Amino acid sequence: MAKVQNNRAWLLVLPVLALVAFSAVIPLMTVVNYAFNDTFGNNQFFWNGLGWFEEMVRSERLHAALGRQMVFTGTILAIEVPLGIFVALNMPKKGFWASLCLVLMALPLLIPFNVVGTIWQIFCRIDIGLLGRAMTALGVDYNYTNDPLDAWVTLIIMDVWHWTSLVALLCYAGLQSIPNAYYQAARIDQASRWDIFRYIELPKMSGVLLIAVLLRFIDSFMIYTEPFVVTGGGPGNSTTFLSIDLVKMAIGQFDLGPAAAFSLMYFLVILLISWVFYTVMVARDAGETR
Amino acid sequence: MLLLSVPRTADGMQWTQPLIQGGWMAWTFPVALFFYGIGTILVVFSVLAIRFPEVPRRGVLGMETTRGDRLFLTLLGSAFINLTWLYFFGAPLTGALIICLFYAAMVFRWV
Repeated sequence: MAKVQNNRAWLLVLPVLALVAFSAVIPLMTVVNYAFNDTFGNNQFFWNGLGWFEEMVRSERLHAALGRQMVFTGTILAIEVPLGIFVALNMPKKGFWASLCLVLMALPLLIPFNVVGTIWQIFCRIDIGLLGRAMTALGVDYNYTNDPLDAWVTLIIMDVWHWTSLVALLCYAGLQSIPNAYYQAARIDQASRWDIFRYIELPKMSGVLLIAVLLRFIDSFMIYTEPFVVTGGGPGNSTTFLSIDLVKMAIGQFDLGPAAAFSLMYFLVILLISWVFYTVMVARDAGETR
Repeated sequence: MLLLSVPRTADGMQWTQPLIQGGWMAWTFPVALFFYGIGTILVVFSVLAIRFPEVPRRGVLGMETTRGDRLFLTLLGSAFINLTWLYFFGAPLTGALIICLFYAAMVFRWV
């Protein structure tokens, strides 16, 4: 007997559709509108055509922020992913210590972003912070408020502290799902530790690892709160990442047109990269089930 | 409908004036046309997907794509083509739009 499909059920999604339109689609459309107009608020607009896009796509300031963003995201991925895998490999597999490790690892993930920023902002201050004082006492010339390199190092260490656990926990979950039989077979074949990692653990982890990389990429590409609290984008502009620059432009300077064009380009880049990750993930899953 | 709402003065059509004077957000004809275009494409492709169900195929990228995937690639790629054009040549985007048409044809043919 053929199943009767009642397409009227689709009407039930209408409320959600209306809500999404009101909270996401129409605001996005207004951003497009802002990008083509000049405004000083007060609902007064002056047509500007492609002017803002032309200005933004050639803007040195935007290129610099994008460059900083790439370096930052690349650096923290290069540190957090291997470190997370390393931590996951060395965590106890079961028993009391496994539970304790899991709880301790989860702690940084539970702290609100602005609190993380505040903790590090105070921790690293050279007048009252423990780290800042200790570094000064050791004779290291460290001051994240006026040395760009120090500011970068501080932000990167803070991000590693905050987010490596996420990578580690995901990898740990991937490792736990490997049946013991694989390890037994490897032992019979006298596989080295590296071979076990390369041919058993890494392939089995690659699914969750991909998700971890995607999450860390997206999060760090839109990072705002922590650098805002710790360095405020400074010293100078040395830690002004894309979102910080965007907010400065949109709210600080009230340049809504350029900021809208900027945020649309930002959105396109994120969309492109997310699509690449998504495609790789889907292709991987399809390859696995085949 | 859309054309009728374009403001008119003695100098002819005022393409870039707000469609509704003093209305919220000052929507203008080009922006409205853009969204009408996107909306129409989405509706057309939805109808096509119902009438002629999508069959995934493997193209030059070595991965399976459906008609919807190719549409997404076309739109996203076109956005980047237009931005690249703006960077090198600036407005107007006529040339970029022609490249986009070729790009769309290539995506639908070979990807």
